[in-house]
Amino acid sequence: MTEVIRLEGVHKRFGGIVVAENINLAIGQGDILGLIGPNGAGKTSLFNLISGVVSLDAGSIFLAGQRIDSMPLYRRARAGISRTWQHMRLFHTMTAMENLSVAPRVYGGESLLKVLLSPGAMRREQAALQERGRAILRRLGLADMADKLVSELPFGQQKLIGFARALMHGGECLLLDEPMAGVEGHAYETMQSVVREEAADGRAVCVVEHNISFIKDLCTSAVFMANGRIIQAGTVDELLASSVLAELYFGV
Amino acid sequence: MNYINSILVLAGIYLVLSSSFDLIIGYGGLISIAHPIFYAIGAYTAGLLAIVWHVPAIPAILSGGVLAAVASVAMSLPAIRVAGDYLLIASIGFQLGLLQIIKNVEFTGGDAGLSDIPPAITGPSRAALFAAISLSLGVLVVLLIRWIVRGPYGAIITAMRDDELALLALGRNVTRIKVVILAVGSGLAGLAGGIYAFYYQYLSPSQFDVLQSAAILTMVVIGGMGTALGPVIGTFLLLGLPQAITFLQLPPSVMAPFQGILFCVLVLLFILVRPQGIIAARRPHT
Repeated sequence: MTEVIRLEGVHKRFGGIVVAENINLAIGQGDILGLIGPNGAGKTSLFNLISGVVSLDAGSIFLAGQRIDSMPLYRRARAGISRTWQHMRLFHTMTAMENLSVAPRVYGGESLLKVLLSPGAMRREQAALQERGRAILRRLGLADMADKLVSELPFGQQKLIGFARALMHGGECLLLDEPMAGVEGHAYETMQSVVREEAADGRAVCVVEHNISFIKDLCTSAVFMANGRIIQAGTVDELLASSVLAELYFGV
Repeated sequence: MNYINSILVLAGIYLVLSSSFDLIIGYGGLISIAHPIFYAIGAYTAGLLAIVWHVPAIPAILSGGVLAAVASVAMSLPAIRVAGDYLLIASIGFQLGLLQIIKNVEFTGGDAGLSDIPPAITGPSRAALFAAISLSLGVLVVLLIRWIVRGPYGAIITAMRDDELALLALGRNVTRIKVVILAVGSGLAGLAGGIYAFYYQYLSPSQFDVLQSAAILTMVVIGGMGTALGPVIGTFLLLGLPQAITFLQLPPSVMAPFQGILFCVLVLLFILVRPQGIIAARRPHT
């Protein structure tokens, strides 16, 4: 297994609340790691620490062997961290396609000088991005939504657009924060098959999800978190059989 | 005829000022009141280069634009790095502070103003040529900004306004985007300043005070923020209105405050009745 992301002794505290305590974790190419735990366990905080939304108090994070924990958020994204958000955070005045078109790790349109001086190259880049974006939307069954304003789409489809945007970003490490919340019907299978394909393509995937059957069907391994600590790690079946998990998660 | 040309020169200058300010505040969502000081930097740079080193008009005007853009980076970079909200505070300091410096140093002419700027163009059609140049620059700036905001750079400006954190997490350097927007907008205001300096051949610090900021903002708000056409309509409306009310033949002592009141009433009316301005933005910021 080629390691993509590794966390060593990651620690974070907000005032008196510890959201991450000595977290050690590694995800390799092709792995789909499920992160489970009750509300307030520190799952989303861990995503925020990895992606750089908040900085670490102690510890280190490596992406493909390169230390990234001192990098600002946008540089970690460029280095290869793609993520979705629990509350989607879509660009609400833009269409689905436009949401995707600004997402790639390398985006020439970010340089105004390039936009002004090489409009031809820009047009070609934009055309290529449109094509890539439409292919991703097709994979998720959203081809007809490409030109619709995301704020006008139903919640479940907005959630999928958030996922599509992370795919468009194309980082080696894909962090999915509650991707199934509000997603119903055939989108469930689509989401599963696309995540599997992405992992097979060499990405390291980490999923925070309360839908345990989704985790069970999809993940190659899982970690159970509570109070900012990793309580147990193993296969999903091992975790589900654990009495500690049953007690902390389900209260039985 | 010269009077009409003079109005047209001003129209071109204000087209540049209002459109470039719309790029900053309307599209970029960056709140700054310092636009007149960048206009002043452009005007004084062009004027001084022409007076002291006899630099021809075009390079002098371009230098004014470049210096205004560079000065905006000095203002915005530290403020934006801390947090977006500090930009407004930094802009107030920059606007008031720099104007005080202009008023109090000798080489700018101080409070009395900078006079004896060479005319750049001479002859009977001087005013008409200036009107043509100024209006052409105005139209070019409107079209340039329209082109920028409709292209790939405009897409990231819109995305930034919608959700800055999400855009950062996609790898876009939001600080740089903001600094660039401010530099482009301020640089264009600097170019307008250069045209002003060579046309009027005299600069007074009071022309660049914070009331100018209110006038430019009014043009943008009434016309429609975040639209290419809005500032154009706002500019002509606000420049035309004072001309229209001259027909009332009010005494000068009443005229100036009456204009101020009229602008105030207009802004209040628009904020209450039509906050999106005359032209509504395709992507209103909520």
